[in-house]
Amino acid sequence: MPKRNNVPLAVKIVLYLFLVAVTLIWLVPIFIAIITSMRTNADIMSHGFLAMPKTIDLKSYFEAWQRGGLHKYLPNSFIITMPSLVLTLLLSSLGAYSLARFKFKGRTFFYFLFVGGTMLPFQILLLPVFKLSDALGIYDTYFALIAIHTAFQLGFCTFVLRNYMMTVPVQVMESARIDGCTELGIWGKIMLPLTLPAFAAIATLEFTWIFNDYIWPLVLIRSSEKMPVTTGLATLQGQYVQDWTVIISGALLATIPTLIVFIFLQRYFIAGLTLGSNK
Amino acid sequence: MKNKIVISVLAALFVLGMAPLFAGGQQEGAAEGGQAAEQDVVVYNSYWSDPEPKRVEAELMEMFKEQNPGVKLIHSTVAHEDFKQAIRAYLTSSAPPDVLTWFAGNRARFFIDKGLIMDISDVWEEAGWNESYSKGFRAMSSVDDKQYFLPGNWYWWAVYYDTRVFDEYDIEIPKTWDELMAVCEKLKSNGVTPFTVGTKYRWTAAAWFDYLNMRVNGPEFHINLMLGKESYDDPRVLKVFNDYWGPMIDKGYFVESPASYAWAEAIPFMTNGDAAMYLMGDFIRDSYPKEDLEYLDFFRFPIIDPSVPVGEDAPTDGYFIPKNSQNPEMAKKLLKFFGSKEVQEYVAKELGRLVTNNKVDTSVYNENQLKGREIVNAADYVAQFYDRDTTPEMADKGMNGFMEFWQNTDQAEKILEKLEKSRQQLFEE
Repeated sequence: MPKRNNVPLAVKIVLYLFLVAVTLIWLVPIFIAIITSMRTNADIMSHGFLAMPKTIDLKSYFEAWQRGGLHKYLPNSFIITMPSLVLTLLLSSLGAYSLARFKFKGRTFFYFLFVGGTMLPFQILLLPVFKLSDALGIYDTYFALIAIHTAFQLGFCTFVLRNYMMTVPVQVMESARIDGCTELGIWGKIMLPLTLPAFAAIATLEFTWIFNDYIWPLVLIRSSEKMPVTTGLATLQGQYVQDWTVIISGALLATIPTLIVFIFLQRYFIAGLTLGSNK
Repeated sequence: MKNKIVISVLAALFVLGMAPLFAGGQQEGAAEGGQAAEQDVVVYNSYWSDPEPKRVEAELMEMFKEQNPGVKLIHSTVAHEDFKQAIRAYLTSSAPPDVLTWFAGNRARFFIDKGLIMDISDVWEEAGWNESYSKGFRAMSSVDDKQYFLPGNWYWWAVYYDTRVFDEYDIEIPKTWDELMAVCEKLKSNGVTPFTVGTKYRWTAAAWFDYLNMRVNGPEFHINLMLGKESYDDPRVLKVFNDYWGPMIDKGYFVESPASYAWAEAIPFMTNGDAAMYLMGDFIRDSYPKEDLEYLDFFRFPIIDPSVPVGEDAPTDGYFIPKNSQNPEMAKKLLKFFGSKEVQEYVAKELGRLVTNNKVDTSVYNENQLKGREIVNAADYVAQFYDRDTTPEMADKGMNGFMEFWQNTDQAEKILEKLEKSRQQLFEE
């Protein structure tokens, strides 16, 4: 690894300028969103999005919470996301454990089944899943969303966790087995703690995906009372008139939970991304 | 140490995650308990997601609840674009909403023909709508003399203009095509773009096609074209493109690169004096800056050929009950509420739209509404709008064609040939 001092100053300056420029470009939309959220619709209408704001106030955040309905959509998002997340992680870690550590007939077949599931574009599932939920009588319930999220995310999670568990030395489990530990015990006491980084990374990812999902609630939820924040905020988009300030304030508020999860677990998220890159 | 933090975070997630499952379970239980008491329920989903209509509708819902304390009303607003997709799911599910909003005319006919909409002739009879609604609205809601639909409110299209600009250049309101062209020329020579338009979402271009085609070829030809009975490569259609629309674009009578603006983003051209007119529906009023509203006026789209009957676009929205409705009695109650004189008057006053019930006294209308009503009343034929009169698939192809034409005004023939192919495919199935 080269020492830092070896890099010429000029190169460093260029690099940093480049980094700062790219960062700014990335931040511009967020900055505009924040500014827009504090303007009024009339102001946006007559001066466009990129004008200097005439007035600045935080009223739209309260509007988003009250009139925008965030006070009911945001809890709904959690009611849907949390059980989905827990069920996905629980089931996929069990599945991954068996796929990684047991030899049984059709093991590869099941493994490919999980991998294949992730390849399936969800668009082709919209109609069958809607029909199924209708036939099962769970259409327009939280449960329908929790079930589809869990089922749909299971493939990816099992795939990642299985590959990670493969890297845990078999000897560890064998010695546990010799000491009389049950399989569930091995899973809970040895495998889970060892796969924690992967677990945390997946939890972060899955939380974001499920929390930000738009299409499934659109298909499976009919009443506003049960809508998560994504489809809920969309109801502020009219045919002709968009309630921009409230939509954007709402969207900014809705990113807070994802941010919090990310901040807490980001170390593992990044570690998870580079899993297996340096053996 | 680090692991401990992660474990506790994950544990917290777990507890948080499982809690709602149980809470959710209880809620479901409570809902079932409510049903066991056999409370009357009515589920209403609407696409009124624009801020103003949304506010008025919320007020109407309160009114309904007050009048019917025993009925549990579950009202949901769905984003307008999403609603158009979701309605297919609603209508095929075994428990659809009991009342839905929808477009009158062809778009409703599509579902009626598929047997997805409930026959509500009895409601028309009981509520006396056969007398209190005009023949036109009744025909719009009927198939084989059975009523399936309740028209609720409508608005007109017209050429909106800024009176300050017209006054400044001493411009009279144009009544004929030649006058309009003279106005455009005068404005252009004074550095004002005659028309603003934002075609990012394409339908604003369709309005131009609707009006030019109706004025040049008459509403009968236009509506037959919409129904797929006339062909797009007809020389009469080509005439609209090459003799009227194309020259306007070529002469720079429209603002530059309209496709980069949504319809409302093109309004500032008018308010800051860069452009003078906008062919638009009356909902323009909801988005026009309040301080400029007093300078906004409108006139009827000029007559091109006086021998041709006059057609106008006046999109009508209304309500229907899905065939599978679980609570048809309550649904009919809600429908009667929407069609009643009181509710219609309220909508007319609060929303500035025009309503359908003849019993509504015209004194509730303001000057604008009366003027708009007059334009439509004077018409020989009332169309809905391009994307409501023709099938959604054809509207999609057609509007793409209009956008292409806007970029390449010399390609009309080729574009229309392509549209004709689409028409044959889409209407022959």
